[in-house]
Amino acid sequence: MHMLLEQFLNGLTIGSFYALVAMGYSMVYGVMKLVNFAHGDLFTLGSYLGYSILVFGAGWITQVLGVWGGVVVAISGAMISVGIVGLVVERIAYRPVYKVGRLPVVASALGMSIFISNGIMAIWGPRFQAYPQNAIPSGILSFSDIRITFVKLITLLVSLGLMAFIYWLVEKTFFGTAVRAMALDRDTATLMGIDFNKIILFVFFVGPALGAMAGVFAGLNYGRIIFNLGWTYGLKAFTATILGGIGNIPGAMIGGLLLGVMESLFEGFVSGAWKNVFVFLVLIIILIVRPTGLIGEKVAEKV
Amino acid sequence: MKKILVWLLVSVMSVSFLITSCAKPTVETIKIGLQTPLTGDFAAEGQWTKQCVEVAADLINKKDGVLGKKIEIVIADDASNPKDSALAAQKLISQGLKEVIASYGSSVTAPAADLYDANKVVSVGYGCTAVRLTMDKQRPYFFRASGRDDTQSEFFVKFAVEVLKAKRIAIMHDNQDYGKGVAEDAKRFLQPYIDSGQVKLVYYDAITPHESDYSAVVSQIKQINPDVWFFTAYYPEAALLIKQARQAGVTCTFLGNNSVPTPEFEKIAGVDAIKGSIHLNEPMPQFLKSPEAVEFMDSYKAKYNELPGSIWAVYAADALNALAAAIKKAGSTDPDAVTNAMHTMTDAKGITGPLLFTDRGDRKNIPYYAYIYNEEGKLELYWPKD
Repeated sequence: MHMLLEQFLNGLTIGSFYALVAMGYSMVYGVMKLVNFAHGDLFTLGSYLGYSILVFGAGWITQVLGVWGGVVVAISGAMISVGIVGLVVERIAYRPVYKVGRLPVVASALGMSIFISNGIMAIWGPRFQAYPQNAIPSGILSFSDIRITFVKLITLLVSLGLMAFIYWLVEKTFFGTAVRAMALDRDTATLMGIDFNKIILFVFFVGPALGAMAGVFAGLNYGRIIFNLGWTYGLKAFTATILGGIGNIPGAMIGGLLLGVMESLFEGFVSGAWKNVFVFLVLIIILIVRPTGLIGEKVAEKV
Repeated sequence: MKKILVWLLVSVMSVSFLITSCAKPTVETIKIGLQTPLTGDFAAEGQWTKQCVEVAADLINKKDGVLGKKIEIVIADDASNPKDSALAAQKLISQGLKEVIASYGSSVTAPAADLYDANKVVSVGYGCTAVRLTMDKQRPYFFRASGRDDTQSEFFVKFAVEVLKAKRIAIMHDNQDYGKGVAEDAKRFLQPYIDSGQVKLVYYDAITPHESDYSAVVSQIKQINPDVWFFTAYYPEAALLIKQARQAGVTCTFLGNNSVPTPEFEKIAGVDAIKGSIHLNEPMPQFLKSPEAVEFMDSYKAKYNELPGSIWAVYAADALNALAAAIKKAGSTDPDAVTNAMHTMTDAKGITGPLLFTDRGDRKNIPYYAYIYNEEGKLELYWPKD
């Protein structure tokens, strides 16, 4: 029973990373009908920016604000910068080619992905970087046999809290209704007076910012980052997006968490070597039964 | 104008020829070839190898050389690829050499070893560990001063069962070529102990490389709680595993293989996580303490101000020591006599231990060591302390 609970917690943590990244994919897809391949690399960029803030600012930020203060500065710094990078990416790589058709945008997105990951490699080097140990809050909580680090607990709580907030924002507010309307039918929504550019601004800032936060959390939790980190996370998060139903934000959250829990339960109780085989088999089966994903709804094809 | 130039050229050439022929003493030497990657991906390795072999040759020459003659090293660059390796071998063979040291990398060594063998040239490898080099087909003139890929697994079993007295063993690999190979060999060498009931293999599985979160498998190890947890793949995953395991409260002995103890491993995992973990490795130059090793390291340090950057370069120096000892014993450089001497010599000592060879050309009793991270996160020799 202990073991089951422990593995479930492990899965939730892994899953919350997938979910945070998946939401970025899903938001952009919902509004633009575009798979933003650069999203995984924005996640990595966030991770590296957080690293640099902690390394270069470790001296005084940590001294003035304490270890937790340093972490908050690193996370918010990375979120804001990557959010801005997200807007720039949209402006220079997607908007000019968007009208041409869907394939050129896909090529542009792939190009952006390669551009960012190689840029990271050129700036920070191709080797692994380690988050500075003294800038990571230490401390471990234990409940009988289950031990969980503070950082992991915070990661879990903040991610779940943020997911709840985004859910509320998108599903319950007037602004969220506008975003969903834009996802459903862009032309009609525009005719109703919704400002397309405002929505674009929202999804291309918030999506990458969430990814950046996940990136800094990954660095804090695991300590090890590399320029192609976004590839593994991006692939899994994209899978989670499809699993939940692409374009549907709560679907991305559920898909991410479910994927994480499945991985960890299978690895913990059956076999690590066969983990990915199993996970993707389940994905295929789910897509056969529900081609639009777990909670994706069939949207009438636009002509 | 042209005529003047030609005359100038001729005179310069003849003068330089005269100078060189005067400068060179007409002492007969024993020429030994060295094939090593001075260019290409492993150029650093080749540079260390060259330096190590030259230092070893100097040491032999200072002690009156071999059979009263000085040793002269003839170098050929194989650029660490199989094609250039064959060319380098041809070059050394065409110079009439009878003994060579070759080479670094198993796939690079194989074509050269074939050529040397066909031309009756004794060759000694120093950085080629694939089992197939000696076991797939017999090359009578081929030897190696380094160990084989399964040396490590054999050492692991001996160390875990006899020294650590482990009863419950976990073996974890990464499903990739190298890591899985080491794990499979370890399981094979462990089988007799498993059959006799002395040891239980409580975990044998793989992780997925390039991931960040290994908490699921760590929880599993925590529940199984083995005496020894042997990880047979690379340092990036090892660092995350040991860090997450110690955070989760896993206290069992972590054993890393020879790809784990690196500066990156120490940096990513941190001192708290790595202290007390034990790592199996080829001898590390700084820990070699036999009189032969001390003499060699001191001379190397005096010349280059640092220790050799890799153990494979030191094995190359031992390849030279083995050839020198065999030539001494045979009394000539005749390949057949030297080969026979290589197989039968019993008292030759090298930097990395006794220089004995099996009849397939593998080094006998190849030294292997366990190193432990102390409280400060520095490596220390753990076993065997000779």
